[in-house]
Amino acid sequence: MNCQDFEKLALDLARNSLLDAAARDQGLIHTEVCSRCAARLAEERALLARVRAVAAELAGEDPPARVDAALLAAFRAQTAATASSTVIPAFDRSWRWSSWKLAAVAAGMLIVISVMAIFWKSANSRIPRREERAVAPAPVNTPGHRAAPPDGREQMSAEHPKNLPKRVRRRESVDSPDEVEVVTRFFPLREGEDLTTMDSLQVVRVELPGSALGEVGLPVDPETANEPVKADVVLGQDGLARAIRFVR
Amino acid sequence: MTKPMVPSDAELLRLMLAGDEQAFTALYRRHKGLVYRFALLMSGQASVAEEVTQEVFLALLRNGRRYDPERGSLKAYLCGAARNQVLLLTEKERPYVRLVEEADDGKAVPIAQLISGDDPLGDCARNEANRLVRQAVLALPARYREVIVLCDFQEMSYAEAALALDCPVGTVNSRLHRGHALLLKKLRAAVRLDSAAPDAQGMRCFA
Repeated sequence: MNCQDFEKLALDLARNSLLDAAARDQGLIHTEVCSRCAARLAEERALLARVRAVAAELAGEDPPARVDAALLAAFRAQTAATASSTVIPAFDRSWRWSSWKLAAVAAGMLIVISVMAIFWKSANSRIPRREERAVAPAPVNTPGHRAAPPDGREQMSAEHPKNLPKRVRRRESVDSPDEVEVVTRFFPLREGEDLTTMDSLQVVRVELPGSALGEVGLPVDPETANEPVKADVVLGQDGLARAIRFVR
Repeated sequence: MTKPMVPSDAELLRLMLAGDEQAFTALYRRHKGLVYRFALLMSGQASVAEEVTQEVFLALLRNGRRYDPERGSLKAYLCGAARNQVLLLTEKERPYVRLVEEADDGKAVPIAQLISGDDPLGDCARNEANRLVRQAVLALPARYREVIVLCDFQEMSYAEAALALDCPVGTVNSRLHRGHALLLKKLRAAVRLDSAAPDAQGMRCFA
């Protein structure tokens, strides 16, 4: 073995990951006769030892609890949304249906679209214009604002900006002031619970399938039921989702 | 006496996608540290690591069915997703990394024999040395940094790293060699290793 051959093995020798025993032995024999290659191997071993010392130092580093809570809330919201979203599979199967069933489905879709059009028209008429919102801003997740209460009447407890995930804060910091989000009211996810009695709440921005709108009684467009929609989920201190609103 | 069965990642993922919260929690606890530390070493910023961890697991919730256990481990799949997120987040705002740190009085911090096993300066110097290693890793180009983080810090096999990086095993091997050479060069420059230490890099012998 010469030094060029040794150089190819040096890293694996240092890592003790050389599977070929014969090659390993030849490499080690070479270091006994070549002081420079011996130094090269020692240097690689020292570097790996230092790298592993850093890895050991970082071994206890984990994401903060707010990430755990946000992900758990997203999981629960998604599970709740998908549990009852049977609209899409039904339409997938519909290709095997007879023509009269297809006609019935088409008629049903027309009715849904009409209802949606009426709903959105009436919803838009209730949403104040941008100038009005400038006077009475919609409740958004900017630090310093309080989230709107789920029942639309009572104020929730004060929400400390530290409790908001960084992702949410960062996104809003780059939004231009003209980009105003349109939000629904908060829909409570647990019946009979008074959020005003809680010490602190978190609001977490998540993305859910469009079918999640149906969970709170909003109309779902079958054509966009699989597309993601933004939502703000209110979490209690225990990480459980208490309320949700949808964002457009 | 039989040991309690530990469910595999694939089994936990299947249960998670079926709506089992315990499976999600178990899977998250099993891998959150790996993803977070990978992102932390790649970016050098806790806020980025936090955001990457959140995005990777949200993506797993949304697109977990895309994972194919026959292609490789979930660990490698998650690291691949984390790598894409890190590159996305840090592409435009890569932090400026200083290699030679200065003390308050403006003098260079004397770190002797940084990469030798013998460390005469004790714990303080060791911590300082660890910090310099992290900075040197951060100063590497991303393609070398990622293989070093996966293979050396996370102790992944070349095959797993290749899956995470979506490249051939040979590419991982060659990048690791090149990455080590660059890392040693940066560390030497950072601590001005004394001339007594043999400079193996660039030297040849013909024994």
